[in-house]
Amino acid sequence: MAMELDYDKSLYGIEHKAGPFEVTKEMVLAFSKSIGQRGEIYNDESAALAAGFKGVVAPPTMCTLMVRHVKLPDIKLSEAHGKARFHAGQRVQTRSNITAGDSLTASSHLKEVYSKTGRSGTMVFIVWETTFSNQEGEVVADVEESFAVRE
Amino acid sequence: MYFEDVELGDEIGPLEKIASDQDVIDFCNLWGPPTPNRFTDANEAAKSKLSSPIVPGIMTMALMAQLFTDWASQDSLKDLNLVFRQSVPHNKPLIIGATITDTREEGGEHLIDCDVVMTGQERERYVIGTATVSLPSRNSQ
Repeated sequence: MAMELDYDKSLYGIEHKAGPFEVTKEMVLAFSKSIGQRGEIYNDESAALAAGFKGVVAPPTMCTLMVRHVKLPDIKLSEAHGKARFHAGQRVQTRSNITAGDSLTASSHLKEVYSKTGRSGTMVFIVWETTFSNQEGEVVADVEESFAVRE
Repeated sequence: MYFEDVELGDEIGPLEKIASDQDVIDFCNLWGPPTPNRFTDANEAAKSKLSSPIVPGIMTMALMAQLFTDWASQDSLKDLNLVFRQSVPHNKPLIIGATITDTREEGGEHLIDCDVVMTGQERERYVIGTATVSLPSRNSQ
């Protein structure tokens, strides 16, 4: 039988917006350096332009940096489900390239809350989904973040 | 790499990465989490019952994405879906590999699906997940 979860279900259907976030060449180069990404289009503007991009290209998961800037509400999950929280999973679906010079806006919503029981007990998972769009209104990425709560 | 060059069961990688203390500091400076935090501060890590500071999940994801950007063309990764099984340490070899589980055509694209994993030197499974990569087709050339 599924566990009945006690949290603020009125949060479904509400979009939380943030931005614009300017994607600068400096940001892309710093991100690429910090993760050891040596691909030409992520590090060399002339190589990116020669390859047909508008500017140096953001590595495919770079937009995840911006998710934390969306102010997400507390879902008020009952402490009966536990207090310890950790980052359980992440998903990025890229829809279009992001390049230096782009300006991104984010829109996040509560996607789902569910429980799973395993060897270590029951955990509750809270999943937020964030859609990033660029200055043309084009969706460039969808990011899901899953947080687990347990005793 | 072309769609016609891959088969079910083919292995991608392995790619070995190391996230040094400085790499994580640089990443966090860009990302901007509250400081001090468990990613860059030993005391904060200890408060979270961690033996040492850890690599942020989104940084781990960025490292794993490179398996595919190195292997295929540089803008080919369509979907990366990860589950963080264990905390990822600084300064230790992180081995990333994938196995192709499906090849398909969808919406005019040639796609491959993979299982992907990040392990440590003692074969600790830090992260598991799936990925979808778009490859060019020789038939489209």
